[in-house]
Amino acid sequence: MRAKAKLKNGIVKVKAMFKSPMAGREEAEKKKMKPDFITQIVATLNDVVVYEISTGAFISKNPLFKFKFNAPDAKKGDKMVISQTDNNGKTKTKKVKIK
Amino acid sequence: MMDRRKFLGLGAVLFASTILPTTKLNAINFSVEKPKAWDQEASTSAITELYGNGALIDTKDISIKAPKLAENGGSIPVKVKSKMDLESIAIFQDANPRSLVAVFTVPENAIIEYDIRMKMRKTSVVTVVAKGKNGKLYRNTQNVEVSIGGCGG
Repeated sequence: MRAKAKLKNGIVKVKAMFKSPMAGREEAEKKKMKPDFITQIVATLNDVVVYEISTGAFISKNPLFKFKFNAPDAKKGDKMVISQTDNNGKTKTKKVKIK
Repeated sequence: MMDRRKFLGLGAVLFASTILPTTKLNAINFSVEKPKAWDQEASTSAITELYGNGALIDTKDISIKAPKLAENGGSIPVKVKSKMDLESIAIFQDANPRSLVAVFTVPENAIIEYDIRMKMRKTSVVTVVAKGKNGKLYRNTQNVEVSIGGCGG
């Protein structure tokens, strides 16, 4: 997972790229592997949820998500926490510094 | 008499069940909450599974920015924008084996301007359905033509 977060005029812009084959049932069969796709991504800043998406297998592989949110109290150097969950129950978490 | 091992096990289960909701931070995982919605082939039935039978109000206040002609069906950029007071947003299409692509839960301080990349096997209509804080359902659609199918096909 790679992510960038930028603060400007109280708005944080985030670009996040995830690594996942995003293979659903049909695709996994073709590639002879287990279905493997991200089912949920949650981003939090100071324990407040700022972004939340539940995804299926029809998101592109190694997906890129862009989003913005209002953060009047955020400062540069604050850390966002982005976590992903996949269909096999695996989770990954990463801290991203706001620039 | 309950032996010690069992008793400790019981305590661990209780502890886990009380701690779980707080670590989830009120996030809703729709693939766990509404598993049926992800299995529907047609957009119409997926919408009913996810949001119920409510009337859909067509609106231009939710904008969909997607290419009219996508060259690569494996990665179609779709942007959903709105200034409305929404609770959640879902994206559907009819090109793939199943309809539902993604569900956003809109947090309090969010700016609704979401970019995602999706896969589509063939030309189809992309439908965005949003649930407002007032409980009403809104819909907007856009046709996306795909010249090379994605989804590994």
